[in-house]
Amino acid sequence: MVTAAPYLVLAAVGAPVLAGLATMLLPASRRLTRLALATAGPATSVLLMAIHLGRNGVSTADTPTGTIAWVPSLNLDISFLVDGLGAFFALLIAGMGVVVVLYARAYFGHDAASLARFFPTLGFFSSAMLGVVLADHLLLTVLFWEMTSVSSFLLIGWDRDDADAGKRAMQAFFTTGLGGFALLGGVLLFGGHTGIWRWSHLMAEAATISHDGTVVAAFVLMFVGAATKSAQWPLHDWLPGAMKAPTPVSAYLHSATMVKAGVFLLGRMLPAFGALALWLPLLVSIGAVTMLLGAVLALNQGDLKKIFAYTTVSHLGLLVAMYGMGGASTTGGLGAISWDLTQIASHALYKAPLFLVVGALAHLVGARRLPHLFGLWHRPGAGAKAAAVVLLLSGYALAGGPGTVSFVAKELFFAATTRASDLHPVLAVVGVMAIAAAACNVAIFVRLTTTVLGHRSGVGEAADAPVVPAGQPDRWAFMLWAPAAALIALQYLGGLVPSLWNRTFRGVEVNVHDEAFATGIPLAWEPFLHPGMPLLMTAIAITAGVVLGFSGWMRRDMVDVHSRIWPASYRGIRRGGHRIFHSIQTGHVRHYLAVVFSVLTLCIGWAAWADPAMLRPPAGMDPFEYPAGLLLGAVVCAAAIALPMVTERVVRVLVLGASGFAVVGLYLVYQAPDLALTQLMFEIISVILFLLVLRLLPRADRRPRIRVLPRLALASVVGISIGWMTLLAGHAADNRADDAPTLGKFFEAHSLEGSELTDGRGGEGRNVVNVILVDFRGFDTLGEITVLATAALGVWSMLPGRRRHREEEDLAVDTGQGVQT
Amino acid sequence: MTTVLAVCVAVLVTVSVYLMLSRELKSVAMGVFALGHGANLSILAMSGSPVLADGGLRNPPILGAVNLVDPLPQALILTAIVINFAVMGFLLTLLIVTARRTGTINVDDLAAEDRPDGSRTGGDR
Repeated sequence: MVTAAPYLVLAAVGAPVLAGLATMLLPASRRLTRLALATAGPATSVLLMAIHLGRNGVSTADTPTGTIAWVPSLNLDISFLVDGLGAFFALLIAGMGVVVVLYARAYFGHDAASLARFFPTLGFFSSAMLGVVLADHLLLTVLFWEMTSVSSFLLIGWDRDDADAGKRAMQAFFTTGLGGFALLGGVLLFGGHTGIWRWSHLMAEAATISHDGTVVAAFVLMFVGAATKSAQWPLHDWLPGAMKAPTPVSAYLHSATMVKAGVFLLGRMLPAFGALALWLPLLVSIGAVTMLLGAVLALNQGDLKKIFAYTTVSHLGLLVAMYGMGGASTTGGLGAISWDLTQIASHALYKAPLFLVVGALAHLVGARRLPHLFGLWHRPGAGAKAAAVVLLLSGYALAGGPGTVSFVAKELFFAATTRASDLHPVLAVVGVMAIAAAACNVAIFVRLTTTVLGHRSGVGEAADAPVVPAGQPDRWAFMLWAPAAALIALQYLGGLVPSLWNRTFRGVEVNVHDEAFATGIPLAWEPFLHPGMPLLMTAIAITAGVVLGFSGWMRRDMVDVHSRIWPASYRGIRRGGHRIFHSIQTGHVRHYLAVVFSVLTLCIGWAAWADPAMLRPPAGMDPFEYPAGLLLGAVVCAAAIALPMVTERVVRVLVLGASGFAVVGLYLVYQAPDLALTQLMFEIISVILFLLVLRLLPRADRRPRIRVLPRLALASVVGISIGWMTLLAGHAADNRADDAPTLGKFFEAHSLEGSELTDGRGGEGRNVVNVILVDFRGFDTLGEITVLATAALGVWSMLPGRRRHREEEDLAVDTGQGVQT
Repeated sequence: MTTVLAVCVAVLVTVSVYLMLSRELKSVAMGVFALGHGANLSILAMSGSPVLADGGLRNPPILGAVNLVDPLPQALILTAIVINFAVMGFLLTLLIVTARRTGTINVDDLAAEDRPDGSRTGGDR
C-alpha cells in the first residue's frame, strides 16, 4: 500500500493557527472578514481531513503517513497517524472549532478588542489539539499536549483584570502541566526501554511488549498525565475552576475537546497497555470514583456553569472507567467495551450546547444561577425562549432520555458494566455507581425543567443579579443559541435515526467487542423490545433521579473538599521554596565555600571508600633526600602557618610574600627555571599590589573571630585530603619507569623535529616548556591571555570613578581614616 | 622531595581554606592567593621527584641534556600562574569597589546589606 503523504494532515493541523494569526493583520473595522477568516481555519481543517480520508481511508497501525524529517539526530520527525480514533477526534475538534468561532462572535458582541485577541488564541489551541490527536511520534504528541496546556492557561486567565481568573489559570496550568511532565517521563522511560517511539509501532508491537517493571512504571506515569488532563479524582478541581474562562472556551476546551485529550490518550494506550494487570483496577477505580463524585457535586450546585462543569468531570470519569473495563476486552475477549467513540461524541454533542446556552442566558437574561432563572420560559424575548428550548433539549440528553444518542450511550455503558461484572463480580459496584451517577443527571434535568417552566410570578425576579452585563443585542445575537441548537439536533438525529449514525461511525469505531452491537448502535426503542439488565438499570436510575429531582435534598451549594488541595499545596510550595532558598542562599560567602569544600572532601572520601588501596601509605618515601628542598618546604609551611596568626596587616602581606618566594625556590629545585622566573615577577607585583590595596580598605573591626575549631576542622580535612592525593600521585610519578610513555616524553620527542605522528612538523625549539605553551597547546595559551585581558578589562571597568575619587582618597589617606564613609 | 611537596600542599590548602572561611574579605583574598600556590605545587608533584639516585638533580626540560624532568606539569603551571595573577588583580579591585560602595568588607555585614531576593527578613512575603 502506498504511504500517504503527510502534507495534507500537516496543513490541516496548521490551518487554525495560521488563520487565527492572519486575523491579527486585519484592521479592526473589518469585522465580517475577521469572522470569515477565523471560521475558515477550522473549516479548512475539516475539509483537508475529509480529502485525506477520502484519498487514503482510515489508516491502521501499519499505515501511518509518510514522514517529514525534523530532528533526525533524535529520530524525531513529523508524521501522522490518521486511524479511527485520531480521525474522529480531529473532525470533532475542527468541527466544534467552527461552531465556537461563530458563537464567540455573538458572545463577545461589539467587543472588537476581545475578538482580536480571541481568534488567534483559539486557533493556537485548535492546532495544538489537532496535533495531539493526529501525531504519530510519541514526543510530538507530548509537544502538542503541552501546547494545549499553555493555550488553556491563556484562555482561562482571559479576563486580565480578574485576579481569581489568574489564580484559576495557574491552577489549571500547574495541574495539567505537571501531568504533562509525568507523560513526558513515561514516554521517555517507555521509549528508552523498548525503543518504540511511535503510536503505530506501539500498536503493531502490542502483543510483544513485556510487562516488566519499567513498562508498568511508564504506563503509570502516562496515566497520571492523562488523568490530570481529564480532571480525574483527586486532581479534578482545576476543571470547575477553569469555568472562569469565557463561555466559548468552557464549551470548547473544558467540555468538548481538551479535557478529552486524556481520554484520547487512554484510547491510544488501550491496545498496548490494556493487557497490563494494573490497567483495569487503576482506571476503573479512579474513573468510577470521579464519575460518582462529579455527579453528586453537580447536583449540589446552583450555578449552571458549575453544574455542567461537575457533570463534565463525572462523564470524564465514566469514559476513563469505560476504557478501564476495555482492558478486559482486549485480553479476555470479553465484550466490555463497545462504541467508545460514540460515548465521547455523545457527550460533546450535549455538553457543548449546554455550555453555549448558559453563555447565551448570561447575555440575554443576565443570570446563570438556577433560582434566578425561575420561569424563564414565561419571560419576554424570542432569544430567551429559544435558549430555554435548547437548554431543556440538551438537559434531556444529559439525563440520557430515550430518543437521544446519549440514551444509547448510557445503555452501552450499562451493558459494559454488566459484561465486566461477569468477569470480576466486584465490578458490579461500578454498575451501582453508574446508576447513582445517572440518577443525579436525571435529577439535574428535572430541576432544570421545573425551574425553566415554573410559573410563580415574582420569585427570583428581585434577586436577579446579572452575572454578565447583558451585551447590546446585535444582528448576530441569534448565534448565541443557533450553534447549540445545531449541535443538539445531531443528538436527536443520531438517536432517532441510528442508521445514519452507524454509517458515520462504523468506519472509525475499532473497539466493538460486544457482539450484540456488532452492526450498530441500537434503535431508540430496541432496548424496550429486548429488556435486560441495562434497561433495568436505566429504569432504576430514572425513577431515582425523578424522585431526587423533585425532592428538597441536595439543593445547597456544596463546596468540594478537594478544592482545598490546590491552595494548600500552592502555599506549601511557596513556603517550602522560601525556606529552602533562605537556607541555601544565605548571602555569606563562607557558607557557600563550606558547601563546596565539603562536597569536594566527600568526593575524595567516596573515592577512598571505593578503592581502599588509596588509604595505604606509599612505601619508600624519603623526605630527607634533598636537604635544601626540605628547608625550602619548611619555610613555605612556617610562613603559611604564621599567616592566620599575624594580625598586623602589613606584616601579613609580607608573610604571604615570604611563603611565595619559598615556593619560587621549590620551583628551582624541581628544575623549572621558567616557572621560577614568572612566579618571582608576579609575586613581587602581587605583594606591592596587596600593600597598595590595603591602604584603601577599611581596617578590620574588633568583632570576635568566627568559631575557630569548626573552621580549622574543615580546613584540615580538605588540606590533608588534597595533600594525600598529591602524595599518592607524586609517588606514582616517582616510581614510573624511565621509558614509560608519558605526554611529557611525546612533547620532548617532538619539541625540535616532527615525526609521522605530527605530520612531520616539529616545534622548532629546544625549551620544551615554551614549545608546549606556544606550539602544542597554543590555543590554551590564547585562552590564558584572554583571561588576563578580561580581568584587565574588569579592573578597568570597575574603577570608573578613579579620577573623581582621587582627591577624596588622598584626603582620606592623609588623615589616616581610610574610606570608611 | 614528593613528601615535602605533599606536606607543603596540605599546609597551604589548610591555611587557605581556613582563611577563606573567615569573616573578612581581605583574608579571603589571601586565602585564594595561597590556594593558588598549593594547587601549583600539587601539579608540580606529578612530574616526580627531581632527585636522582646518586643525590644529584635532573636537568631542566631543555633539549641537549639527559635526564630531563617532565615538562608537562611545568607548562600547565605556567598558565596557572598567569591566571592566578589575573584573578588576584580582579579580586583586589572587587575589594576596593566593595569597600567604597558599602563601607565594609565584612562578609556578615555584606550579607545583611542585600539578601539575594532583596528581602531582609525572609519568610513568606
